[in-house]
Amino acid sequence: MSYTELTVWTRGIIMDKEGRDIVNSISASARLEGKYAQAMENYVDNPDRTNAPTRKYCRVSDTVLENELTYENEHPNIVVLVEGTMVKGWDYMRGMPPGGTLVINTHYSPEYMIRFVPGAERLSQLVCIDAARLAHHKWLYYRLGELGLDRLSTEGAAERSKLMAPDIAAPLIAAIVKTTGIVKMQTIQPMIVNKNAFEMALEELRIMPLNPVAV
Amino acid sequence: MPTAIAGKKKTVRINGCVASAQAAKYADVDVIAAYPIRPYTATMMALAQMVANGELDAEYIVADSEHSQLSISHGASSCGARVFTGSSGVGVQFAYELYSPISGSRMPVQMMIADRTLDPPGDFGSEHTDALSTRDMGWLMGWACDAQEAFDNHLIAYRIGEDPRVLLPQMVCQDGFFVSHITSDVELPDPGQVKEFLPPYKHPYPLDPRRPVSHGPQIMPEQGPPLQLERARAMEECTPVIEQAHEEFAQIFGRRYDPWVEEYMTDGADVVFFLQGGHAVTARFAIQHLREKGIKVGMVRLRTIRPYPTDRVNEVLSKFKVVGVIETNMALGSVSSGGALYAEVCGALYESPHRPLVMSFMAGMGGEAIVLKEFYWMTQKMIDAQKRGKIEKRTHWVGFED
Repeated sequence: MSYTELTVWTRGIIMDKEGRDIVNSISASARLEGKYAQAMENYVDNPDRTNAPTRKYCRVSDTVLENELTYENEHPNIVVLVEGTMVKGWDYMRGMPPGGTLVINTHYSPEYMIRFVPGAERLSQLVCIDAARLAHHKWLYYRLGELGLDRLSTEGAAERSKLMAPDIAAPLIAAIVKTTGIVKMQTIQPMIVNKNAFEMALEELRIMPLNPVAV
Repeated sequence: MPTAIAGKKKTVRINGCVASAQAAKYADVDVIAAYPIRPYTATMMALAQMVANGELDAEYIVADSEHSQLSISHGASSCGARVFTGSSGVGVQFAYELYSPISGSRMPVQMMIADRTLDPPGDFGSEHTDALSTRDMGWLMGWACDAQEAFDNHLIAYRIGEDPRVLLPQMVCQDGFFVSHITSDVELPDPGQVKEFLPPYKHPYPLDPRRPVSHGPQIMPEQGPPLQLERARAMEECTPVIEQAHEEFAQIFGRRYDPWVEEYMTDGADVVFFLQGGHAVTARFAIQHLREKGIKVGMVRLRTIRPYPTDRVNEVLSKFKVVGVIETNMALGSVSSGGALYAEVCGALYESPHRPLVMSFMAGMGGEAIVLKEFYWMTQKMIDAQKRGKIEKRTHWVGFED
């Protein structure tokens, strides 16, 4: 019996869609594979918090999710930082059981980033991927004005763009799936719009092996 | 102009807010009165997108407050429009003045409510106090426990409220977050099925310059009683219409709901939870686990609170030894010094020759999820009361007692 929690940390409004795309695509893939899965945003983080840290959650299980009304992932096995500077400043690792995976969107190496990670002894691997470069050079800077005005999507009910992972979510999803196997590659890959960034990420991601879990 | 919805029946993964928006689309509403407040906001966001995309041909009016939302709804309904509006928490309270005029003038306005705790302090979590505080204003009212039921309840409520024998407004409620923001599979029907179930709205006396009528004029005191009696009768006599609407819904859409209560694993039960809304989802899991251990526990979920199914509640709850009412709302200084549901359960049971013990639990307050171990704790309190033959106290605050 397996149960996995995935928590995505992202920046409010401007990068909310990237976070949503990650949890929604993984959850949808897991259901296609016959598992029980749920994706949702952190309820309290949601509204009008431009640039502030916001969380998105995914739960994947072999058995029915009895905790589907619980607000937060209390013990995330996988944590994703959609924006690299989020590595400092607060404990995004809290509740992670031993053997976890941390995925960061950064152009730095895992060897450099590990120094900022709180409670890194719980990690079995640290994964770094330069998602912003792979998706589009200076992706965020060109589109910041437009992204900052996206109030329509703040509750996740109405998306301005219905495309799944057109930007930096694509390489991040590739990194998560390749390094954790939370869902099968062949299930999720057809859903992703930015196929080029997804495929490049599979080649370019950098993994730092850490503490394997004693079996 | 009717909105054309392409395609046949399909299943989509959506949350309660979007399910409500979809229901408004399928009901082909004419006027939408919007004003944002969490958590219901997402419904209006989704509807705004549908109108902008041309999926729904409706007048989308952004009001300057909830009071204006309900005023717009009142006016639009008076002209014969099918109206959809909604709110949450303190927004529901801000519109309070309009609830009685709308039901008094017999306008079948529909209001979607995604519950939110009343201030202070600001809290997005779900408590039912917002909608429950308006429960005696002459609106039909009931709670859904998941997104599919929310979708279905909207269509059923329009059908009941717009029936010429009823003509009453409806509050179609769902828990904030637990229903409004949790996604699940929702079957969207074939538009033809909706057309069959929900005929176009036709008010018998709409405001029309070609056929002048007065709505809600000033009256003399002696004219008041008959009008109030008519409104009371409409609420009382809509029972068969509600039952008929649910029966026809089941025939057309294939999903059958008991209009009044859902009984879950109540066969042979000694103690039962009595609740409404989304926490029923976790309650079912708790009851399954407890039953595996041989504990005779079940659940009765209230689906319609206005009109209150007094006889049905009496009949169903008289079978058990202890009833634990899960309140999820505040009724400060009330009969039980707890929530609003307790007194009505006791009132319904008063005439029963086999009155169970009734206790209430303040759980899920502030919108906290009620977790499995809290359901186990409450079950133990009910079993203790059963053994003792009397209740220790009327209201337990879950999480604050041993």
